[in-house]
Amino acid sequence: MTTPLHEDDDQTAAEYVLGTLPLEDRTAAARRIGQDPAFAAAVRAWEDRFAALNDDYAEAPAPDLLPAIEARLFPAPPPKPRRFGWLGWLSGAASAAALVVLVSLALPIGQPALVTEIVAANAAFQYEARFDGTRLVVRRSEGAAAPAAEVHELWIIAPDQAPVSLGLLGDAPLEIDYPIPPEGWVLAISLEPAGGSPTGAPTGPVLATAEIRS
Amino acid sequence: MNDPVADLLQRCAAGDRSALRELYRATSAKLMGVLLRILGERSEAEDALQEVYTRVWLRAHRFDEARGRGMTWLISVARNHAIDRLRQRPDTAPDSYDDTLHAAVASAEGRIVARSEVARLNHCLDTLEPARATALRGAYLEGLSYSELSERHAIPLNTLRSWLRRGLSRLRECMDQ
Repeated sequence: MTTPLHEDDDQTAAEYVLGTLPLEDRTAAARRIGQDPAFAAAVRAWEDRFAALNDDYAEAPAPDLLPAIEARLFPAPPPKPRRFGWLGWLSGAASAAALVVLVSLALPIGQPALVTEIVAANAAFQYEARFDGTRLVVRRSEGAAAPAAEVHELWIIAPDQAPVSLGLLGDAPLEIDYPIPPEGWVLAISLEPAGGSPTGAPTGPVLATAEIRS
Repeated sequence: MNDPVADLLQRCAAGDRSALRELYRATSAKLMGVLLRILGERSEAEDALQEVYTRVWLRAHRFDEARGRGMTWLISVARNHAIDRLRQRPDTAPDSYDDTLHAAVASAEGRIVARSEVARLNHCLDTLEPARATALRGAYLEGLSYSELSERHAIPLNTLRSWLRRGLSRLRECMDQ
């Protein structure tokens, strides 16, 4: 039994599970789950109360996305370099001007981190990608976002694999759960229509690339 | 308690990659159903499904068998991610919605929660005003926002939240008896 929460906090836990909280309150509640055991317990209790509704969700056949999921999660051994396929797609962008700066540093808690600058070939913008072992945070450090009706999309490319989208880059930092990628993998930014690539593969020009090196 | 999904999650937490494959085969149709119902659009749901299984692998160590069933945990990861995406959408207008998803028929082997739990939640929802029960179901199952609920139930936005909170309080009292 945890300390009873204030009624208002229990309501917030209920609204978090229900999903009705506006984005800002929702983000704050999600953060609190990790910091406040009593609040986390209240969220779990509400998840259990509503769990019976889960039967209402009908099953829908899912395509086999395992290859893409595994490409994101599990490093492949570095293969022999190839001069075609996606590497060809990259070489258009990797016009030597794409500058890569990698810094390994120790975080206060002692986890290794990897920080990568992804700089546009024409130096119009620069993003900083920071891997801390479980999270990836990408924020624009220089220049402007893509023009209206277009967006910068971030890709990770394992050797010999098709690019996998990590998300869209706007003014707010992109934050996702992602492990530190192995050496030889490439981060790339392409220009896509607003809303991101409609095909799941890059469709627009590659503006910047950075290879992971340690 | 026999919970094959929980066993697979524990193997994932231990770094067993074949368990992730088995988990995907066993549970992706259910999670796809959840994501489609909330996001309403197949390509976004597929995108979200990749993200959900990535998170499931990275967070499997946080799953605690003593605290509930594996499938319930998986669905909460999927719902939370889908609702995050909804709330991040610039416009709150609901997307075109595929009505076939409304006709959910849970198969006998697809039962996730014991019958008695379903009966108890339904009984407690039945003790609420019908509109409130409908609003709670709509919020949970479809990820409706306050403004969408306000529109659907013709309740002013500034009173909707307290109206819904009263429903939640009563639901909790009834279920915790």
